[in-house]
Amino acid sequence: MRQERSGPLLDAGFWRAVIVMGIISAVLMYVVVVFPITRFLPEASSVSVPIDKLFRFCWFFGVPILVYVNGMMIYFAIRYRHRPDDPMDAVGSQIHDNRALEAAWTIGPAVLMVALAVFSYFIIPMYYPTGQAAASAVTMEAIGHKWYFEFRYPGLKQSVMNVMHLPVGVPVTLDITSAEATDDVLTGAVLHSFWVPEFRLKQDMIPGMVVPIHFTPTEVGTYRIICSEFCGQGHSHMWGSVVVDSKPDFDRWYAAQQHAAAAPAAAINLAGGDAAAGQTLFNAKCTVCHNAAPFAQRKVGPGLAGLFNDPAHPNLVNGQKATPQNVAGILQHGAHGTMGVMPDMQANGLTPSDIANLVAFLKTLH
Amino acid sequence: MDHNATSATNTGSAVTGGHIHPPPDTFIKKYVFSLDHKVIAVQYFITGGLFFILAGLLAELMRAQLSGPNNHVLSVATYNQAYSVHGSAMVWLVIIPLLTGGFGNLVMPLQIGARDVAFPWLNMISFWLFPPAGILLFASFLYGAPEAGWTEYPPITLQMPFGTSMWCLAIFLIGISATITGLNFLVTIVKMRAPGMTYTRMPLFVWATATTAFLSMIATANLSAALAGLFIARTFHVPFYDVAKGGAPVLWQHVFWFYSHPAVYIMILPAFGLVSEIIPTFVRRPIFGYKMIAYSSAAIGLLSFMVWAHHMFTSGLEHWEQFLFMILTMTIAVPTGIKVFSWVATLWGGKIRLDSPLLFVLGFLSTFTFGGFTGILLASVPVDIHEHASYFVVAHLHYVLFGGSVFGIFAGMYYWWPKMTGRLLDERLAKWHFWLMFISFNATFLPMHWIGLLGMPRRVATYDPVYASTNLFVSISAFVLGASMLLFLYNALRSARKGEVAGPNPWGARTLEWMIPSPAPYYNFKDIPIVLSGPYDYGKPLPYANISQELATVPMH
Amino acid sequence: MATHVYVPSDAEYEEVRGQRLLGFLFFLISDCVIFGDFIFSYLYLRNASPVWPPPGIERPYLYLAAVNSIVLFGSGATMHYAMEGMRHARLRQFVWFTVATIVLGSMFLGGQAYEYTHLHDTWSGSTFGASFFTLTGLHGFHVFIGVIFLITVLIQTLRGTYTQQRHFGLTAATLYWHFVDVIWVALFFLFYIY
Repeated sequence: MRQERSGPLLDAGFWRAVIVMGIISAVLMYVVVVFPITRFLPEASSVSVPIDKLFRFCWFFGVPILVYVNGMMIYFAIRYRHRPDDPMDAVGSQIHDNRALEAAWTIGPAVLMVALAVFSYFIIPMYYPTGQAAASAVTMEAIGHKWYFEFRYPGLKQSVMNVMHLPVGVPVTLDITSAEATDDVLTGAVLHSFWVPEFRLKQDMIPGMVVPIHFTPTEVGTYRIICSEFCGQGHSHMWGSVVVDSKPDFDRWYAAQQHAAAAPAAAINLAGGDAAAGQTLFNAKCTVCHNAAPFAQRKVGPGLAGLFNDPAHPNLVNGQKATPQNVAGILQHGAHGTMGVMPDMQANGLTPSDIANLVAFLKTLH
Repeated sequence: MDHNATSATNTGSAVTGGHIHPPPDTFIKKYVFSLDHKVIAVQYFITGGLFFILAGLLAELMRAQLSGPNNHVLSVATYNQAYSVHGSAMVWLVIIPLLTGGFGNLVMPLQIGARDVAFPWLNMISFWLFPPAGILLFASFLYGAPEAGWTEYPPITLQMPFGTSMWCLAIFLIGISATITGLNFLVTIVKMRAPGMTYTRMPLFVWATATTAFLSMIATANLSAALAGLFIARTFHVPFYDVAKGGAPVLWQHVFWFYSHPAVYIMILPAFGLVSEIIPTFVRRPIFGYKMIAYSSAAIGLLSFMVWAHHMFTSGLEHWEQFLFMILTMTIAVPTGIKVFSWVATLWGGKIRLDSPLLFVLGFLSTFTFGGFTGILLASVPVDIHEHASYFVVAHLHYVLFGGSVFGIFAGMYYWWPKMTGRLLDERLAKWHFWLMFISFNATFLPMHWIGLLGMPRRVATYDPVYASTNLFVSISAFVLGASMLLFLYNALRSARKGEVAGPNPWGARTLEWMIPSPAPYYNFKDIPIVLSGPYDYGKPLPYANISQELATVPMH
Repeated sequence: MATHVYVPSDAEYEEVRGQRLLGFLFFLISDCVIFGDFIFSYLYLRNASPVWPPPGIERPYLYLAAVNSIVLFGSGATMHYAMEGMRHARLRQFVWFTVATIVLGSMFLGGQAYEYTHLHDTWSGSTFGASFFTLTGLHGFHVFIGVIFLITVLIQTLRGTYTQQRHFGLTAATLYWHFVDVIWVALFFLFYIY
């Protein structure tokens, strides 16, 4: 065989390449170790820290493999390229296999996989309620609806919509499910998913099935709850938030909730509504279910053009006259209708002035 | 004994040589309802190519919608339909038919020295189930196309308009078609190899096709059953998935993924196979670790049936189930790693010609290895809990299906185009195509990992404005990626008129398909060849007897 | 018809027969998977339900199904003797045992039709009904196809298509019929006993 051009396979050039790739790997592995994940995504729960460690662990061992596969590929492609002065029928090395090498790249990854599996094995129980920790936890419920999250607290009569408050440092068991057909008047039960990226937690909300997850919020702050399982028209907008409060703040919020349950909410002052601001809000929040078009052009709910002066539909879904104040009442409290559920202002994330703006905008639709 | 032709008598078909049907004489018999595996392959390529363009355009529409938050390029419903049909079409109408129906049909019978597949008539039937399925799927836009993604998780799919039933029917037809093809190919490979072609002398593409055929036969039958189940659940309200009557939505996820995880390997194993063909040809040396590559295909095939629930780590599985499926999933990393390392080792000490097929293969190695690595992240239950159903998964699956299968398809196209058409593609355009595609592919899908980790869920028509700049960059890259495909289209059309005549063996390869004229004549082999040893011994005389000598020389382009 | 009919040599016939036999076995395996899918669904739903059968649902009547099973297994035996006849070139034995098989198969279908019309549960009524009617319906459909298959090969035999040496069509029909029998064992156990 003609081998004079390329020489032996394990020559100085090869070892230089191995060393260069080793240095690149080492630098990247160092970057993996010091990479400030929390600058981009806070670690706000007890489980997020070990999950991030596991994530780093994977990258730490993955990076050299990626560097060597790509690096060797590029190095070989350049080093052993067919040069113009090589004979046309030149062939390469006649080595067919190498037991030791093949054993190494079979056993090496296998060992890494075992390590990863063992590491994962110890983390899996952390986000499910098992043993002592679970016994002392506060148990709450999270229920997915089209298209908002409902939270039930022990000791609170009414549910809390979309914005969930948790006290920092208190273990929580969250029973996760989705509304069943009988609860969700719309068109039947669907899947949702409860995902808080800052908690590194996700659990599908499955109708007919309650899955408990377990964690302790560790950082005060406001984090997003994202639905990550397709649930229909409103899926793209199905966002909630979880507010992790200090213990006193949480107690104050909890007391206010108990109070709110006792006293009826005040009517909303509609004076000074800004139709332009209302239009922006309408496009962002209402168009999931409503068109700015005549009644018959339904989506989930009716089209809303001419809402206040449609002779065919003088009454609102709750039977009241279609006056601005009554529309504001529906925006505030929500409604159950034949077509579906209109969530209340809390679920929709509306303030009283938002409602005034929306009503002002709705008046401009004819 | 290994090089002794008489060892051939217990394998392969010594007698099929006897009887040759006359070639078809009418246009319909020759080009439409053809029984010839080579013509059927071209039919698959053309049909699958058209669906590739359509499904690709849907992807560009989606990226237009996602170029900014709160865009109104598409309505929410249309957007949902676009990604559902895009995913379904790319999986079932593009990658699977092109790799199995296209390359499998074109190459496998030639590589084993057969005159056709075992059941040419069934082969024709399975092709003709494919265009109606595609038309049904795209026509579903007229009746409310499916919106719940290519996985179509109930119960929401039970509430969708008629289009979802059309989806069921379309994929059911594809399922039947793929099952028949799998059965047909497996019989062909077991029974019709040329004398002397023992299992360890088979080209690696044939190994990959055999494994794929086995998976198609078993898993795809299950797909048909699952889709029939969803269809009757929708049409006759049979309560498999209806919670109100005691059904279980998660049941669908089990039966669907019991097909769809093997399907991942149906989509990647043939690409592995053609990578294993192209590398030794252009590196001019024997493939490193033939047996390990061959057996790892079989191992992946078997393991792929035991890992389906790793798609369901957030679906409320028991802990022991999560752990079991995690372990089994990680096991697959080992045979896959063996393949990747063996390919890289084959480059070591070669005489490498960096022609377009090899470029695409190197691109494949780079992107697929990264996709495989993110796959290991997703296999670990705790990491998956965070990443599941986010854009990280979208990025991962495109790294393996686009970076793997589609790069593989293009590598195979550039490699076997001369065998299929008799003409060469323009090499300069091909290299432009590769670099443009490779760079824009990475620019499109690499950033998706990042925004997924930060909290962008998949299957959304709009998103939190914090991801706006990344998404704009991704969209622009996606348009470039789409445009790069035009280079291939132009190159293909150009070769019909101006392409250089290829000759039987333009790459100097050693497998049997290059031992006959290009394009292959109607009955492939004038005489059935006799195989004396394995196909990758570059530098040694050709291991075949009974093929005409003027073709056995190795011309170089 | 003056077309030239190609008669393959014995070696060619054996080779093609081998391919078809393997192909047919593969078909049966993939058919098994289809039943397997629905059996898995049944077991999954059963496991997910706190009580089984679901409240208010009665299991179908065991004795009718038992009689029906005996009819079907009997048809397996007659099929076997029919093939024995073919192997030993006893055409009369083949014809009459095949006719018996067809009759028994049809009786089984009749029994199943009787059972369907006398059940309170429906296909869309409960998870039990869903699995029961899907699986037994699919099986019944297979029996129906099997009866058609047998009638076809019987007519072919009477017209002289098959010989003592060359009768792959009959082998396929027999394999198919035994396959349908075996599936029934599983279904009978799942729905009437387990």
